[in-house]
Amino acid sequence: MAIAGIHLTRIGRGNFLLEPLRSLNIGGWEQLIQDIVTVLQQEHATRLYYDLNDLPVIDPVYYDWLDKLARICLTANIKMVCINMQPTAAFTLSKFLTGKPLFETALSVP
Amino acid sequence: MMQKKEASEKLTALFNLKIGNISGQLEETGREFFCSDNKLMDEDEVADLSSEFVSLITGLLSSKEPGKRTTPQFHAMEMFFSAFSQRMLMRGGNVEDVVRYAQKLQYNLIAALEKDSGIIFTQSRSVLLYFAQLFDELIMAIFHTYLGEREKTLKAQEAELRETSTPITEIWDGVLTLPIIGTLDSSRTMLVMEALLNRIAKDHARAVVMDLTGVKNIDSQVSHHLIQMVRAVQLMGSDAIITGIHPEIARALVSLNIDLTGVTTRASLSDGLKEAFSRMGIQVSHKAA
Repeated sequence: MAIAGIHLTRIGRGNFLLEPLRSLNIGGWEQLIQDIVTVLQQEHATRLYYDLNDLPVIDPVYYDWLDKLARICLTANIKMVCINMQPTAAFTLSKFLTGKPLFETALSVP
Repeated sequence: MMQKKEASEKLTALFNLKIGNISGQLEETGREFFCSDNKLMDEDEVADLSSEFVSLITGLLSSKEPGKRTTPQFHAMEMFFSAFSQRMLMRGGNVEDVVRYAQKLQYNLIAALEKDSGIIFTQSRSVLLYFAQLFDELIMAIFHTYLGEREKTLKAQEAELRETSTPITEIWDGVLTLPIIGTLDSSRTMLVMEALLNRIAKDHARAVVMDLTGVKNIDSQVSHHLIQMVRAVQLMGSDAIITGIHPEIARALVSLNIDLTGVTTRASLSDGLKEAFSRMGIQVSHKAA
């Protein structure tokens, strides 16, 4: 499923794995989210695993992108689960996060 | 004027000197400092040390700019003293001995050169000044090494202390326990948090039980750090369970308006472990009689 800046792979019935690439440009988030959700809906996805393995830090801008994607996934009845969050990323995110995020978190894909 | 001319002539003579085999004369200094009671070196090592020093000083004095501190020859000399003092400190010697050795070496070197060449260097102010400046720099190198070693030792001790003050234990596959004992201040909370998050990533821990039984005091900043720690653990995809909150701590958390929504708490460590096991689908029961 070719969407610029990400790898989207089906990993089981209704489950999808999203791996962000270095070329991911979250500046154009509107089009990106639309493309992702279109694919997920076409494939009848119920859960989206977002792999944060290569992300050492999550700043407010990146969190905003994750929050928007999770929000839109929820409206499409797709649960978003962030996996492989790095200790440094968890540390920085916990510093500015005030409430519970809209996405779930897990160590890895179960 | 005549005196000045004479002095600089001696310095030039020093720089043009063909230094003979003076290492034997310098060995005595090494033996005196490092082969006596402390036995930091054996006779062969002292001989090697002296001959290496002589070869380096010969290289420096015969270089194009023997008075300059940026030449490779000077750098080699500095490195020699640095490595030598590091070796002595590692063997249990003290910095004072190394510095006194360097000072004595300076006087003995001048005497040896005087004897070897027949030129009276000890009466030349410029020669004495040259050696004084050179050895000052070398003593500085010794002190730099000493301070570097001290810093390394302190860092290692600090790391050891940090390790022992945050004993994170994997009590079951995927279950970590962290008993926190003593006073929690902001810097310690940060250290605990760093160690805990790294351990979660390393062990793929699914639950963390943080036991505060040993914590007697908590302030506003620390309680925020504690909540931040719980949040970070949850963000990594693990469950965080806080146990053993003393009534004083509970009262402090309430009066500080700390939001504990979404934070699992249990009365004791054993309750916390039961909760962690039940979340992981593990059942621990008594063996049937």
